[in-house]
Amino acid sequence: MDLMLFAPEITLVLTGLAVLLIGLFLPTGSKNILGYLASLGILIALLFTVSSLGTQATAFYGTVSIDALSQFFKIVFLVVALLFAISGIKYTEGNSHTEEFFTLGIFATIGMMFVASANDLVVLFVAFELASLATYALAGFEKKNPRSLEAAMKYFIIGSLSAALLLFGISYIYGATGTTSIPAIAANMDVLVSSPMGLVAVVLLIAGFGFKIALVPFHMWAPDTYQGAPSVVSALLAAGSKKMGIVAAFKVFIVALIALQAEWQIAFAILAVITMTYGNIVALNQTSVKRMLAYSSLAQAGYISMAFVVLTPMALGGGILYALSHGFMKAGAFIATAAVVYMVLSENKDSTDPDHIDNFRGLGKRMPVTALSMTIFVFALAGIPLTAGYISKFVLFSSTIQAGFVWLAVIAILNSAISLYYYAKVVKYMYFLPTNSEKISEPLPYTIALIIAVIGVLVIGFWSEPFIYWSMEAAKVLLIPGGI
Amino acid sequence: MAVEDLAFLIPLLPALAFVLTFFLGKKLPTGGAIIPIAAISLSFLISISITLKLLANPEMVIHQSYNWFAMFNIGILVDPLAAVMLSMVTFVSLLIHIYSVGYMSHDKAPSRYFAETALFTASMLGLILSDNILQLFICWELVGVCSYLLIGFWYEKPSAASAAKKAFLTTRIGDVMFLAGIVILFSDLFKIFNGTIPEGVYILRFDEIFTHIPEIAAMNANILGMEVSHITLITLLFFGGAVGKSGQFPLHVWLPDAMEGPTTVSALIHAATMVTAGVYLVARTFPMFIAAPDSLMIVTYVGAFTAIFAATMGIVMNDLKRVLAYSTISQLGYMMLGLGIGAVIGAEAIGISLFHLVNHAFFKALLFLCAGSVIHAVGTHDMRQLGGVAKVMPLTAATMLAASLALAGIGIPGTSIGTSGFFSKDAIIENAYLFGETTGTWIPYVLAIVAALLTSLYIFRLLFMTFYGKPRTNYGGHESPASMTVPLTILAVFALFFGGLTSKVFNEFVSGTFVNNFVNMDINELATIGGYHLASHGHHHEPTLILWMPMIVALAGLLIAFLIYGLKVVNMDSLVSRNNAIYKLLYNRYYQNAVFTNFFSVKVIYEGLAFAGSFIDRGFDWLVKWTGEIMLEAGESLRQFQTGAVQNYATAVIIGVSLLVILVKVVMEVL
Repeated sequence: MDLMLFAPEITLVLTGLAVLLIGLFLPTGSKNILGYLASLGILIALLFTVSSLGTQATAFYGTVSIDALSQFFKIVFLVVALLFAISGIKYTEGNSHTEEFFTLGIFATIGMMFVASANDLVVLFVAFELASLATYALAGFEKKNPRSLEAAMKYFIIGSLSAALLLFGISYIYGATGTTSIPAIAANMDVLVSSPMGLVAVVLLIAGFGFKIALVPFHMWAPDTYQGAPSVVSALLAAGSKKMGIVAAFKVFIVALIALQAEWQIAFAILAVITMTYGNIVALNQTSVKRMLAYSSLAQAGYISMAFVVLTPMALGGGILYALSHGFMKAGAFIATAAVVYMVLSENKDSTDPDHIDNFRGLGKRMPVTALSMTIFVFALAGIPLTAGYISKFVLFSSTIQAGFVWLAVIAILNSAISLYYYAKVVKYMYFLPTNSEKISEPLPYTIALIIAVIGVLVIGFWSEPFIYWSMEAAKVLLIPGGI
Repeated sequence: MAVEDLAFLIPLLPALAFVLTFFLGKKLPTGGAIIPIAAISLSFLISISITLKLLANPEMVIHQSYNWFAMFNIGILVDPLAAVMLSMVTFVSLLIHIYSVGYMSHDKAPSRYFAETALFTASMLGLILSDNILQLFICWELVGVCSYLLIGFWYEKPSAASAAKKAFLTTRIGDVMFLAGIVILFSDLFKIFNGTIPEGVYILRFDEIFTHIPEIAAMNANILGMEVSHITLITLLFFGGAVGKSGQFPLHVWLPDAMEGPTTVSALIHAATMVTAGVYLVARTFPMFIAAPDSLMIVTYVGAFTAIFAATMGIVMNDLKRVLAYSTISQLGYMMLGLGIGAVIGAEAIGISLFHLVNHAFFKALLFLCAGSVIHAVGTHDMRQLGGVAKVMPLTAATMLAASLALAGIGIPGTSIGTSGFFSKDAIIENAYLFGETTGTWIPYVLAIVAALLTSLYIFRLLFMTFYGKPRTNYGGHESPASMTVPLTILAVFALFFGGLTSKVFNEFVSGTFVNNFVNMDINELATIGGYHLASHGHHHEPTLILWMPMIVALAGLLIAFLIYGLKVVNMDSLVSRNNAIYKLLYNRYYQNAVFTNFFSVKVIYEGLAFAGSFIDRGFDWLVKWTGEIMLEAGESLRQFQTGAVQNYATAVIIGVSLLVILVKVVMEVL
């Protein structure tokens, strides 16, 4: 077995451990070096992954596979982790637990990456939990902030429940097929298809993954957690860990449980419609920007779930491309919010809701770079042309129409129209409402992270061809049996 | 690295300058003028060296093309046609930018000005470089946006704001036609390929379009009972776009109002970066026009009519800049006429027309900058208040004289002595004569020659009223600073000598654009597709009178102007009165304002259509408003589900699982 296949993961493990150990011996004042170290490690892992695009291999007795799909999603996770780490440099400034912050973030990323590579339900579950546990702790990182603790608690309780449901579902599958290997399950589906066990297993798995993806009604933790957790962590949750749920669901349903296609297609159709509509409508009157973004990411998850319903190569490619675009857009939007929160807290330490939309008043004058980036992110989320959001929506929706699901496409497009209301509201606050406060200097790490995300959003939007190509390649892995 | 590899920088540098100036300009002296000046000078150097290389070796066309998405590409194409345009635009724009440093020194927001002019230049350069019609259209629209921003630069002035709107909306009519043309062209090409476009073929690229002209020409559309070839339709729609951008009748109405911006902006619009785009579009797609003789006829007549129509109004205007604005419209008419004559003389028409375009750019930029210099020093542009400015501003007056001689087209036929304008305008008029001889229709020639008389008349009237005689009011004033007079002098040299020195080379160079180049078009064959034959080449010897005719009318115009405005042998005050019907007609600009604005826009569009529209609109408003309110209500009530208690969340998960099992079961049974 070639260890180079796991170069990105190994790099991350070493970086994580190094950050943790070095952090023990550093005084709090000089701990910000850890953030740079973590960012560097993630960047190297990202470069390794990009250079291995197109590799195909399996390892560890066929339980882990490297293919276009896994590498594509690993890039998504690593990009989000990179944005997380860079903006974390500023967020953790002066915090004595800096090393834990970065190590947990890195370990969560490793978990996500193994989910993307998993070719066996046990590996998948363990990796899934690795990522979950790390993010539970991250959500409660502000130990003195009751909101952060509440967020972590809720996340943890609902997360445990979902993990139980997921494991329960897996046990049904194992019982019926006698294997946990994803390709082997696909080959031994007879028992599961012929009994009602199949449907129950499917629904239990959907509930388990739906928790991570935040599909209604398994979403209820998400708004509270995204709002209460530190914004930088919310970025990791919404942009990274949500995608982990998606890639896991892709693998389990489309590869392993393809024989039960009829059941889960209907389930996903119902959930996609409910989720996008619910997310968009509830987002309309939110006053907390983070909460608004949480609901918006519900809606986006609803769009991505359409790929399960349509199930053509183009639709899957669209869903996968959407995952990448959403990583940039949503992580960027949360980081922009983090910058605003940072600004508000530095002006008034006791502010109770620093992400209130009123704090965005006149941001165009106060923090021009942040405001411009935020504008680009929310417009991308709304699907304005020449952004990543537009091209992903275009591929996904047009494939939906092509496959004959016109009703679904119409619902999705109407939903996009609704969403423009609350996205534009943010822009209105930033540029058209007056403020008395004066301009402040924008913290550099946040700005760098924002600029990287903006570049990502615009490059995918303008030069979409290679990205579409790679997401189609990734989709092929799912649809060609034994293509691993 | 060869200079060819730098071609993509030509539009990119000014675009970069736009970004830099926009963000940093305020902190730099003179609004950061140095950034666009440096960027455009680099662009100019690249352009000119590419042009010189091409001149030595016309086959070395630069054509780089990259996949954008699906069947579209982005790319650059520098052939002789593009090369001369690039050099001219960068050169003139550079001088205008240098001049602006002095001119805008008293303005409140020079950095915004320089950022916008840099973007204006960048978009025009991008338009010229485009190797496909889609990219050209994008830049075309960018040019439109920039013109809107710059005409309305002093947006706090209501007249400037409304002029900007007028320019934008009027050119928009043309833009829509242009876009419609592109859409038809695209669908035709799509049909020709049967919907499967091979890898690496970009169907909106010019070479691809041109190779499929025969197939497009073979398609027919039935419009109002007439069989019209698609090529005619497309070219007419393209020409519609050009009519809007290049201020041809009847979409010229925005151009005189466009002087509400700073005078330097007028110079940019009139000489380099905007109105020439329309002429360039027709020249760029000229092979298509050659295959559509009906379109070329329309180009000829619209051009000739615009030339004389605008010139008549130029005679009576009292505003310095307005005279020049009408003069531009009239000269653009000549350029269109020059292109239209292609129906007889073929590809040579591009050379002739482009030659006039370039010369015009020099002398028109100069005229505007001189006017700007006067306005800057004196503070008024009403000619009735001026007079004798030559004594205060000798350098400005001298350069203005040079520009006027060029515009009027003074020179000696048959020799290479003469101003730039003489060579190019003479060529157009001569070929209009040839057109008459070949086709038997003399109208274009007659219009062109009368317009030449009027041109000379209005420009010398301006000269005598402004610079000659005694001051009519007490205006003070001084000669402008060197940053303004140096560009004037340079432009004056070009206005006087460029034409004479390059006339022959230029025509051959540009005329060869579509022959043995990035495409190899057989112009005669294209004409056969259009169902006619080009006049055989060879030297036509016009009668001496015809040869001298343009010169004679130009001198006649000068003489009349001198007698009336210089020596005042006729008392103009008696003629210039409300009782003189012709004067009234001209002064009121043929009542276009009344017809177009007051009647058509206000009565028909605004009160007629808009009323009906508003009725429907109110219905939609109501619908949208109520949908919005219902949505917000729904959001408010759905929010209540989110109780915040984690027990409820867990319950929701379990209920969700149970319901989902039942729902899926039910749906499966139903289906």
